[in-house]
Amino acid sequence: MQSNAALEYDYTIAKLYTYTAILFGFVGMLIGTLIAAQLAFPDLNYLLGEYGTFSRLRPLHTNVVIYGFTVSGIFATFYYLAQRVLKVSMAESKFVMFIAKLQFFLYLVAATALVVTELMGYTQSKEYAQMEWPLDLLIVVIWVLWGIAMFALIGIRREKALYISMWYFIACFLGVAMLYLFNNMAVPTYFASGGVGSIMHSVSMYSGTNDALVQWWWGHNAVAFVFTVPIVGMIYYFLPKESGQSVYSYKLSLLSFWGLMFVYLWAGSHHLLWSTVPDWMQTMGSIFSVVLILPSWGSAINMLLTMKGEWNQLTDNPLIKFMVLASTFYMLSTLEGPIQAVKSVNAIAHFTDWIPGHVHDGVLGWVAFMIMAALFHMAPRMFKREIFSKNLIEAQFWIQTTAVVLYFTSMWIAGITQGMMWRAVDEYGNLMYSFIDTVTVLHPYYAIRALSGVLFLTGFVMFAYNMIKTMTSAKELTEEPQFRSPMA
Amino acid sequence: MNALMAKGLLFAAILIGATVYVVNSMHIDLSDPINLITMIGAVAIAVLTVGVSIKYINQMKTDTASGELAEENWDGIGEYKNELPGGWAYSFLGTLIWAMWYFTVGYPVNSFSQIGQWNEEVKAYNAKFEEKYKNPNQETLEDMGRSMFLVQCAPCHGNTGDGLSGKAHDFVDGRISKKQVLDVIKKGSNQLGYQMGAMPANMVTGKDAEEIAAYVAGGMKGKQPASFGVCAGCHGADGKGMNGMAANIAEYDENLITHVIKNGKHGAIGTMPAFHDRMTPVQLKALATYIQTLRGE
Amino acid sequence: MFHWLEKNPFFFAVGVFLVIAFAGLVEILPNFAEASRPVAGLRPYTVLELAGKEVYKKDNCIACHSQLIRPFKSETDRYGQYSLSGEYAYDRPFLWGSKRTGPDLHRVGNYRTTDWHENHMWEPTSVVPGSIMPAYKHQFTNVADIETAYAEAVTVKNIFKTPYGDDIKAGKEAWEAYKPKVLAEAKAVAAQMKNKDVKDMVAAGKVPEVVALIAYLNSLGAKRYEAKK
Ligand code: HEC
Ligand code: HEC
Ligand code: HEC
Ligand code: HEM
Ligand code: HEM
Ligand SMILES: [Ca+2]
Ligand SMILES: [Ca+2]
Ligand SMILES: [Cu+2]
Repeated sequence: MQSNAALEYDYTIAKLYTYTAILFGFVGMLIGTLIAAQLAFPDLNYLLGEYGTFSRLRPLHTNVVIYGFTVSGIFATFYYLAQRVLKVSMAESKFVMFIAKLQFFLYLVAATALVVTELMGYTQSKEYAQMEWPLDLLIVVIWVLWGIAMFALIGIRREKALYISMWYFIACFLGVAMLYLFNNMAVPTYFASGGVGSIMHSVSMYSGTNDALVQWWWGHNAVAFVFTVPIVGMIYYFLPKESGQSVYSYKLSLLSFWGLMFVYLWAGSHHLLWSTVPDWMQTMGSIFSVVLILPSWGSAINMLLTMKGEWNQLTDNPLIKFMVLASTFYMLSTLEGPIQAVKSVNAIAHFTDWIPGHVHDGVLGWVAFMIMAALFHMAPRMFKREIFSKNLIEAQFWIQTTAVVLYFTSMWIAGITQGMMWRAVDEYGNLMYSFIDTVTVLHPYYAIRALSGVLFLTGFVMFAYNMIKTMTSAKELTEEPQFRSPMA
Repeated sequence: MNALMAKGLLFAAILIGATVYVVNSMHIDLSDPINLITMIGAVAIAVLTVGVSIKYINQMKTDTASGELAEENWDGIGEYKNELPGGWAYSFLGTLIWAMWYFTVGYPVNSFSQIGQWNEEVKAYNAKFEEKYKNPNQETLEDMGRSMFLVQCAPCHGNTGDGLSGKAHDFVDGRISKKQVLDVIKKGSNQLGYQMGAMPANMVTGKDAEEIAAYVAGGMKGKQPASFGVCAGCHGADGKGMNGMAANIAEYDENLITHVIKNGKHGAIGTMPAFHDRMTPVQLKALATYIQTLRGE
Repeated sequence: MFHWLEKNPFFFAVGVFLVIAFAGLVEILPNFAEASRPVAGLRPYTVLELAGKEVYKKDNCIACHSQLIRPFKSETDRYGQYSLSGEYAYDRPFLWGSKRTGPDLHRVGNYRTTDWHENHMWEPTSVVPGSIMPAYKHQFTNVADIETAYAEAVTVKNIFKTPYGDDIKAGKEAWEAYKPKVLAEAKAVAAQMKNKDVKDMVAAGKVPEVVALIAYLNSLGAKRYEAKK
């Protein structure tokens, strides 16, 4: 073990995933903005013939932002920070390097196939699991390769104890692996019918209510293990690292982690309230959702307390701003979710725009903010140049914060109004509104959301530009910054 | 309270205020328990998130980091051995105890049935409705009919009942169109469930049929064609259907509406679905009353 | 104890796995057999309806439409009888949806008809002014994949014991023998439609997507049950 010699970390893989995170982030949010605009201005449905309708593009949006943008962000940050907190360089193991490169190559293949097959209309129609069986198999391989790389790195680590971020990445790997496998179980019809019909088509192993339970066991925990767990892993590394502060409390980290692991899985049936799932199961989902507030808030509070006394960093360093606001939006979505999981509230909220509102508090304010902050922090260290422009980050921050606020407030009002209108009765006890009344009334809110999309996308383009400039033409650095990222 | 907290709470207040304003402008009854709980939930989300997060953000201004550091250190990141924040720890414990209580004592497994709740909701509603609208007057019926029509029928017949340029039956332009009458004369009809049963096909043809159809479509005004006698046998000389023996072809009475809604109708224009028993007698009467009023001059 | 775990990645991973795997079992297993049972009289989808369901999936109507009527009076008034678990026994995948940008469709066959759907799928605003649903004109010329729908029927019959007749069996020849039945069903739907392209295609032995889709939409509701003998 070379005692004090600084390790030369190898960022080849982290860089590759940084590029794809930027690319897929842009594509996914562009589609998001388009579908948001389509609900306000339906004529936009016909830009790309049958491939351009809201309905075809919506799963493309969710899959590109989840499997493209977020997962790239997860892999990029993992291959960056795992080396550093485990104190091993990927250059030390040809094996790890090979596995990781293979993983990236297959990831590109899968991402391309995903876009193509979904546009063509091959889908299992289960949310966040739309890809048909050949793609599912490919995704399993990619995931397994990641697991191999992860545990191989852990195997050769020099740092005995695992840092908090690693706990979360391990959980991300295990949780997604288990849930993805079970939810995508399907029988390809071509083989089961003696060679009739399309080879892409499959039928789910489960039917009806069972299928719903398995789907939302996955759907809810995909949120847990893709939008929450690895992102928490990121903030536990990047916030203390960027600020130079020590994590506020080990105990709080510990209880939040195991609490989250234990409680999250029980809450999935809050997606199935008032459905044909047994009453007791629904109640269970509701109750555990409320309990879930605390392990979620635990991590956020731990991060906010880590910044105790560092007000000038908050006002002065835009990356800290991003991360502190991300914690706050994380708190917002993990309180809003549990409240929406209360059965009486869900009677209104379910099926309405309040849910996409809740979703985007999380994915924009928390996930996207955190990933962008992390990539900004990584850039000077990976490319050995300072960040191209601080002013640009500042501007981006305010534009995107405005965008998130517009998104969630408009959908909040739209959803609550819509939900209450569906239930409203006149003095005779007859329904007060026809369905179309509840659609047309939403037009202004849909328009505001489309505007918020344009703003968020603009911010993302500023991010992409700043990153590309940082990679190519910003001032070179002679030595690696210890904490605060240098920016012009 | 400092400025940041005040701003945050102001934001929460504006959001809630705007929500209440919009909801009120749609005539929503906020005293309905479900609506009320939802609004309380919304207030809780806004106020708690803003309040708690700003409380901690304020500590960035007012407090300083302290505590005993753990021995380990990862890539320069240290870790304090601070105790759990009290509010957090007690709340966690509290929710856990509450959850166990709820599941075992409060509302134990299977003590709630959503279907049972639905049954009660509907029963209570029906009892109230029947009591209140035993003998509704004309105005009430019209009003009730309009409200039902807009929700249940307008997707096909249009908000004004004009049938959306020939996509469904037109209630504005008279009782029935010439094309429809001719179609029935030609094909007969046996789908509405009248006492008389079926109307035979092709009882009259050619010019006679044309004349009859024009006469019926014209609202049975002017000189009655001689051949209408064939029809009068069942529909009566006034076309009103002889007290429900056959369809009323002169106007929309309750009887006609009831038969069409219960059984649906397949005709010259297309198909109207059957609603079977989804409407109560009072509601049917209300629809009939309202449809009568749609007829233009 | 936890600090020990943090130094032993293998046991750490096992610990995480046990904690997260446990809840899944409690959530899914107890009700599994019960929820697989169909309600009395429920029939499987016909091959044409299955092809329509594929169109529904392909054009992803689930993005805006639910198929789950919750037990509230406001929903049963709007859409009809609340949904029952056993009604979904032949739904693979389930298509409950999670967003109602448009109305629920679980019983739409009870209160909408072929000609209405024809108008609506061609141009939603022609029947519902203000509608934001896209027009699906391409469904009037795209050909539905009835062969794959047949393969699905064979698969669920052989593997999940879905009660189809003896004429649904594996192999290309069986499919060729069965095909006329699907075409006949499609003809009956097309007979109630006006679109010229649709009529021509059906006459030429091809099933336009919209015909299969309408057959599927019409089946949602009372027509899912065997006709009473
Ligand atoms: C044998 C009795 C009988 C005779 C004669 C008869 N009808 Fe009818 N008519 C009926 C019955 C019964 C119905 C309802 C049919 C159903 O249930 O579908 C009906 C229905 C109709 C309807 C459709 C009403 C609606 O709103 O859909 C029209 C129009 C009509 N008749 C016109 C005529 C005309 C014009 C003639 C004369 C040429 C005529 N009927 C002769 C018995 C008769
Ligand atoms: C899915 C579309 C649809 C819906 C919903 C619908 N209708 Fe119709 N309705 C039609 C069509 C199409 C016709 C014309 C049938 C024909 O004559 O070809 C029709 C015909 C009628 C007629 C018959 C007129 C006649 O004299 O024959 C009445 C009455 C009527 N509708 C009332 C209603 C009422 C009341 C409602 C709501 C409770 C309603 N409809 C809902 C499509 C619909
Ligand atoms: C952008 C959202 C959107 C998409 C995608 C969409 N719909 Fe709709 N749908 C609506 C809205 C809004 C309504 C209510 C207004 C109307 O009737 O057009 C509606 C109404 C309907 C209705 C009438 C139901 C009723 O009770 O009146 C049917 C049937 C329907 N859609 C079928 C489909 C099918 C099939 C698809 C996919 C091929 C689809 N929709 C895709 C938004 C959508
Ligand atoms: C304590 C934590 C949380 C709880 C209890 C919770 C609860 C809920 C509830 C009740 C729903 C709505 C289900 C419905 O009625 O349709 C929902 C939907 C959703 N939530 Fe959360 N939420 C939490 C945190 C988050 C976070 C942090 C994110 C993302 C970063 C997130 C992303 C989503 C998504 C994507 C959906 C939509 C699922 C769908 O497609 O229907 N949630 N959540
Ligand atoms: C420019 C920014 C974005 C805009 C304008 C946008 C817009 C939209 C719209 C319009 C929908 C469909 C809502 C509906 O059906 O009513 C949606 C769904 C969704 N988006 Fe985005 N989006 C953006 C960014 C993102 C990002 C960055 C993520 C994830 C990291 C994301 C994740 C999701 C998810 C998970 C859903 C499904 C929600 C559900 O089913 O309830 N979005 N988005
Ligand atoms: Ca899949
Ligand atoms: Ca959804
Ligand atoms: Cu969830």
